[in-house]
Amino acid sequence: MSDLQVVLTNTAGVTSIISFWIFVASNAFKNWKPKILGSAFWVLLIGFIALTCAIVARGIEAQRFPLSNLYESLLWFAWAIMGAYLWLAATLNHAGVWHLGWLASLTAASFFLYGSWLPQSQHDIQPLVPALVSYWRQIHVPPLIVSYAMFFLSGLSGLVQLWWGGRRVTVFGLIFTILLACSAIALGTFSQIAVYYLQALFVGGSLLGVIFSWINLKKVKTEAINASREELYDDISYRCISVGFPLLTIGIITGGLWANHAWGSYWSWDPKESMALVTWLSYAAYIHLRIHREIPADKLAVVSCIGLLLTLLTYLGFNTLGFGGLHSYGQLK
Amino acid sequence: MSKKLSFGIWSSVKMSVILIALTAATILVGAWCPQEGQVGREKVFEAFGKDNGQIVINLGLADTYHSPWFLFLIAMLSLSMLAASFERVFPRLLTLKNKMPLLDKGGIEKLPFHKSVEYEAEPGTESGGKSLDEIESKLKKKGFNIIREGNKLTGEQGLIGRLAPSVTHVGLLSLLVGVTITSWTGFNGFQPVKLGECLSFEDSQHSKLWIGSLPNWQGRVIETRRENHPTGEPKQWYTTLAIEDKFGKVLKTAELSVNNPLTYDNVDIYQSSWGIDSIALKFNGQKQTIPVNPMGKRFAAFLPLDQDSVMIFSVLDQKSDLRIFAKRSNWEAPKILTEIKPGQSATLGGVTLTYDGIIPRTGLQYKRDPGIFVVYTAFGFIMIGVLLAFIPHRHVWACEEQNDNKISLAIGGRSPKAKIAFERMIEKIIEPYEKLQIAWQLKNQTEKIVDEQIREEICQTSK
Ligand code: HEM
Repeated sequence: MSDLQVVLTNTAGVTSIISFWIFVASNAFKNWKPKILGSAFWVLLIGFIALTCAIVARGIEAQRFPLSNLYESLLWFAWAIMGAYLWLAATLNHAGVWHLGWLASLTAASFFLYGSWLPQSQHDIQPLVPALVSYWRQIHVPPLIVSYAMFFLSGLSGLVQLWWGGRRVTVFGLIFTILLACSAIALGTFSQIAVYYLQALFVGGSLLGVIFSWINLKKVKTEAINASREELYDDISYRCISVGFPLLTIGIITGGLWANHAWGSYWSWDPKESMALVTWLSYAAYIHLRIHREIPADKLAVVSCIGLLLTLLTYLGFNTLGFGGLHSYGQLK
Repeated sequence: MSKKLSFGIWSSVKMSVILIALTAATILVGAWCPQEGQVGREKVFEAFGKDNGQIVINLGLADTYHSPWFLFLIAMLSLSMLAASFERVFPRLLTLKNKMPLLDKGGIEKLPFHKSVEYEAEPGTESGGKSLDEIESKLKKKGFNIIREGNKLTGEQGLIGRLAPSVTHVGLLSLLVGVTITSWTGFNGFQPVKLGECLSFEDSQHSKLWIGSLPNWQGRVIETRRENHPTGEPKQWYTTLAIEDKFGKVLKTAELSVNNPLTYDNVDIYQSSWGIDSIALKFNGQKQTIPVNPMGKRFAAFLPLDQDSVMIFSVLDQKSDLRIFAKRSNWEAPKILTEIKPGQSATLGGVTLTYDGIIPRTGLQYKRDPGIFVVYTAFGFIMIGVLLAFIPHRHVWACEEQNDNKISLAIGGRSPKAKIAFERMIEKIIEPYEKLQIAWQLKNQTEKIVDEQIREEICQTSK
């Protein structure tokens, strides 16, 4: 990795952490809040530009499309999270979306950290295995990574929505569940704990956590309700899915076209491929639930968080928790 | 038969969600559990232990995607989708052309989102409509189709988004049709072929309900090689195939590599793996081939010499040197004896060893997929359909009424998708008139205050 690339990537990582703290600190200064929140946007924008340059620089250095291993995909993910938040903030005139801003910065920062802790072999630019040498790679993978990022944001926005709907117990339940799932993945990446325990931690934790959160939707702290914010984040959550879903569709189908072109079968029920289909179906269910508002907005928000967990399982869980498959670009061991 | 089709619960959105969720859960199990058909029975036992593995197999979890339960779900999903499409989705296409009625102030104020303002008309404008002219041009700029009648207007945007469910569902149903065509008439398989031998289709796989036929030609491997990155990792594998008819007559010759398949007679042949079958040697002029097995990046053969010593032959690819090692049980690591270039010889313990080269083996995947055209068309429909689904369909209504010097303007609308952005747009449109309203209110208030002051003054002077 060249020095330029390191500097650019670190700039992006550091700005995501700074903007997180700016968002947090803004609460302490009532009078200055709008100005402080505005500066967080610009800091994040600088990080986004730096990361864009870092990815381009890596592509130039490697002389190939820079998306071929886990580390590179994490950079793309953080890039999409930052970009999507900036896009939302800009199109919604910044008003009030900062509740999502600090979560988006925190997510980007966590992915940078995760990436930086990966073994050196992931950071180094390495030659591709024959199966990945194809122009299809750049058609297939970016839509997927960006769709995962959009689903993440949608789930986070669902959390903020539940918060302003006064469903505090549900929010804490879901945050705990998501943290549990993330720790299963971190342990799967960096420790030698047997994968069966980690699978149980991820799947069992998610099931129990979601059921707990769902049941506690009834517990509403009425004085904490802010209906207009609740509605805003409901809208944002759906908007993220409305970008992510077509991207996931395109990613899965172009993957099929590539597979058919490369080894003669557009679908082989490879675990990762199947998992992407599960995620796709779960968002298809979300969309159907939403068409005629079959279920109320707060339950839809929980569904978007279930989507986040499935996305996490598809993107990082399968490789780090010891499921097999062809898609080794995300694999470490 | 009544005009309106009805399949009750079967075509409901509720049913679709239940079926989609069950299908997703089933696929999740299939993704987690090693599938016998993909990785072999051994891996299932490895993952769960012998006894539990057997239970998993008996439950059908190790063959999820062929289990009766899964096929049942897919069938239900298709039927329910068909029912919903004919009952609820396609009939909607007919309503696309329906015109929206124009609304007056009362009507607009019943809409889920609306705003109304009142302000003073500019002097000398009795006919009104100035604000509507401005609103119309703003909406047009944003891509709305406008219908205007006098002091009322209605606008629509994103009508094409209404096609989404039809296009997506047609795509999904055609996908099933395409997959069925392939399953009934196509075949596929994999065969490792040694240099000089032939790819044939006798061992191909096809479904139980098969009504297709197999080709009457075969493909002879006349060359196959591997290219490496400088680090020794494989970069690409190549195979040259000669297509021969039953009598051995060559019909076509072509090279294939990973990501570059060869198509002949609607059969696609893919390079899917590459290995070395054996190495050809001469011991004192006597020909011998020794089979090798993959070992890390390289391929190796172990030749026991006596009770506790073995000779190891190791090669990387067709161009690399043959490395010969010896290993005794009391040595820590094998010792290299010699390296021989392809075609050259060396003497080892009085024996002249000639290395003639490798006999490579190419892994070829093949298939005939008659449904592929339908499947690809379906992919196209699905992609377009889901893209369409996220074009928000929006409606706006506005009307302006003038009474003497007072103008009341009402605007409202609906956008089930992307609601907040829509509301912000309407708020922006009405903003200038809200300013006029505030100005007018201020003016009225000042006038009132001035009036009162004057009245007070008059009162006081009259006292
Ligand atoms: C059990 C099977 C299914 C049934 C009964 C069903 C039923 C429906 C119905 C009734 C609508 C609403 C149409 C309307 O009111 O305008 C709809 C919309 C839709 N469906 Fe399905 N559906 C099924 C499966 C699927 C699947 C597997 C997908 C995959 C993505 C899908 C994608 C869509 C899309 C994209 C829309 C449009 C949504 C929108 O306009 O926001 N459907 N479906």
